[in-house]
Amino acid sequence: MLFLPLLLSWLLNYHSTDFWHQQKVSASLSDVAAGDTTIIITAISGLQFDIVRFAVKPNTNVKIILENGDDMAHNWVLTQPGKRLDVVNAALALGDKGPKLDYVPRTALVLSYVPVLDPDQQKEITFKAPAKEGVYPYACTYPGHGFVMYGAMYVTTKSMPSLKNDPNIPPQRAVEEPAPRTATYSDPRPSPHPYPRELPMLYRTFMPESGPASIVVMLPNEQSYCWDAGACRLRYAWRGYVDNAEHWRGNGKKISKVVGDTYFRDQAGFPLRFGTATQMPQQVKFKGYRIINRYPQFWYSADGVEVRETIKAVPSGNGLVREFQIHEAKSPVFFQTNSQDGMDYSASVGEFRDGVLRLEPGQAHHFIITMKAKKAEKL
Amino acid sequence: MRKYPFLLLFLLATFTISAQTVKDSICNYYAIETIPMPQGLLAETGAVDFLPDGRLIACFHKGEVMTYDRSKKEWKLFAEGLHDPLGILVVSNQEVLIMQRPELTRVTDTDNDGRADLYETVTDQFGISGNYHEFAFGPIKDKEGNLYFSLNLASGLGGIFDEVRGTLDTLGRPGRMFSTVPYRGWVMKLDKQGHLIPWASGFRSPNGLGFDLQGNLFVPDNQGDWIGTSPLYHVQKDHFYGHPSSLVWSAGFPDVNPLNVPVVDLDKMRTKAAVLFPQGFMANSPTQPLCDTTKGKFGPFAGQMLIGEMNHPRLIRLMMETVDGQIQGACVPFYDSCGLRMGNNRMAFAPDGSLWIGQNDHDAWTGAEGIQRITWNGKVPMEVYSMNLTKNGFDLTFTHPVDRKTATQLANYQFKRYYYEYHRAYGSDQFDVKPVDVKKIKISRDGKKVSLNLSELKPGYVYEMRLKNLQSTEGKPVLNTLVCYTLNKLRK
Repeated sequence: MLFLPLLLSWLLNYHSTDFWHQQKVSASLSDVAAGDTTIIITAISGLQFDIVRFAVKPNTNVKIILENGDDMAHNWVLTQPGKRLDVVNAALALGDKGPKLDYVPRTALVLSYVPVLDPDQQKEITFKAPAKEGVYPYACTYPGHGFVMYGAMYVTTKSMPSLKNDPNIPPQRAVEEPAPRTATYSDPRPSPHPYPRELPMLYRTFMPESGPASIVVMLPNEQSYCWDAGACRLRYAWRGYVDNAEHWRGNGKKISKVVGDTYFRDQAGFPLRFGTATQMPQQVKFKGYRIINRYPQFWYSADGVEVRETIKAVPSGNGLVREFQIHEAKSPVFFQTNSQDGMDYSASVGEFRDGVLRLEPGQAHHFIITMKAKKAEKL
Repeated sequence: MRKYPFLLLFLLATFTISAQTVKDSICNYYAIETIPMPQGLLAETGAVDFLPDGRLIACFHKGEVMTYDRSKKEWKLFAEGLHDPLGILVVSNQEVLIMQRPELTRVTDTDNDGRADLYETVTDQFGISGNYHEFAFGPIKDKEGNLYFSLNLASGLGGIFDEVRGTLDTLGRPGRMFSTVPYRGWVMKLDKQGHLIPWASGFRSPNGLGFDLQGNLFVPDNQGDWIGTSPLYHVQKDHFYGHPSSLVWSAGFPDVNPLNVPVVDLDKMRTKAAVLFPQGFMANSPTQPLCDTTKGKFGPFAGQMLIGEMNHPRLIRLMMETVDGQIQGACVPFYDSCGLRMGNNRMAFAPDGSLWIGQNDHDAWTGAEGIQRITWNGKVPMEVYSMNLTKNGFDLTFTHPVDRKTATQLANYQFKRYYYEYHRAYGSDQFDVKPVDVKKIKISRDGKKVSLNLSELKPGYVYEMRLKNLQSTEGKPVLNTLVCYTLNKLRK
């Protein structure tokens, strides 16, 4: 027992001298023979390497080109089989010596490395693959990164095991996410929350073809709509649901996905007008929403006139029922549509003429607009 | 004892060992508890706070806001559907303010059924371009009731939407991190009357805000372009803190790309950090600063500030002071390892004086998920309690009287100093690294204060101190021996 620390320090000290010398020699190999391998590995956002495993043959030359495509610094460190966590922890233990050593502990457990690269930098190294077949882990040993940011170099003449069952790569990269089936219009996957999915369901998220402050609502009857809280208006509606998985999982660069068939896309701009049908309000302001039986009742103002709007699905087919409350209008209220948008409009009060509904201020206190897709077609 | 002669021997042996090389640890003074999280929750914790009734309220990456009753070990959903909520400020048992990507929102349970039913926009009068990196942090409330929050810059690794919210200014678009819509890279003040005031500029990733006991506002930033090592700033109105991109939204700033302003000029404009966290070994990504307002319930450091850290299993303690009119000071690890995980993103004190830590490992952050709770057990560790600049060195005040034999040896205080470059590149090496000799040591009569005379004090440098072999009169070693003092101003 008492020898263990001694033995360890001997191993580390004695072998490291030897090893660093060797490493220099192999790094200067320039002639690339047949069977040699060049691998371009990119550090990408989400603390991961884009390539999580590759195979080389024993005793062949390996060229690693490391690119840092992330917005923080990373290195690349190849270790002895099974020693990734030891090296990662040793790097963490370097403390203030870490930055100077590129966070690479000087131990024989490290076989080769690319020093710390700042974002957008690139560097290559060449080394000889070990003679002994095995799985040689690599990791970024920047403090803490290597617990999740790693991969495996297989030194083998055979093929690698199936990706799905490979314990040597980060677990989230070992499973291929089953793509949601598009045949159904409701999400077949289990709830992503610690409670069951219950419709209607609202998310504020990044949606395609809308402003960055969007709200998506999944309704009963397999319908969903995207409401833009910046522009204070309905942007589009579809038969189907929203898939936030990639937006949540990554750094947010990937936005939420519309799954299903879009049957309405607004082309008329902000629909409400006051006083004249042709004059769009100058300023809209989002004020929030109240949840009533899980439906959001949006609250916003247009040129100072307060509006409340609740959107539900039509009982059958593709379409929406939009309930408005406008109490402060001092002049007639107009609701403008675009006759080319594929929808049939009807109103609880007043009538649409040439795609425009005109209401007296009193009629605007409470009115419902039903919009139904003329036929269930994909836009 | 006659029956167990070996026991005496054992005790003696133990005593001998402990008297020479006591291995002490923070676990002997604080207990840590890992809070069980609800099943099915992605516990990337965006914020934690406490309701007046003592329940925890926390928000998570997928938009959930949940409460936790520790006595019942019960989680309940309070609100849902928010976009990356990263801040909570409790108003009452039924009402909280939440900072999410698009806005600051007042979330209220108006019918008292435990679930929020009203989401009111408190302010959305700032831009969002759709870039993934435009996080929003805060709010915190000052004594007068004004709110403060901070807006992250966008990242050049991502694009922007075809439609943005707010005025688009292409002059702010270049750069690794950018500010192409209003007030990205700013700390904002929302006064009690509802006016939103751009308060201070020059931030990159200001992930957390906090006040000290006197009401001074502190905001950290993250090492990166223009930031040599992660800083903590004392934030004051109209000050500029160094990252140029946000200057496009500064009133009176000329119509130029701020990145093209000569570095020397930017350097003159900027306010330097009150505390620098040397990258790699002190902190990589400091998070929320939090003042210990427990009046002693959480231990001997009441009134000082703590700050979280993502990349180490660590919380850091700050020892700040005013020198020549400016706040500056030192950082020292506080709770390190001992069961604490990484990813310490948010903190809040419970009414019982325990510290709750929300952890996050979202995407580019290395860290952990979930929530941990730290309680003080009433014993006081041997620590540097404060570090104060003097005319010719530093005064170190310890929590216990020092052992004079070890404390009078010059070699037991190792100083070096260095600076980090202010430049456009990502991060900075340490420059002009030099050891600094301790010339003289004086110990106060009560043994708690050690005054050190240094061979040189130079403004603009970090003074890194490492203590060796120092212990209390009772033989307790100093737990955290690495202390870094940011010296901007000399004592006049």
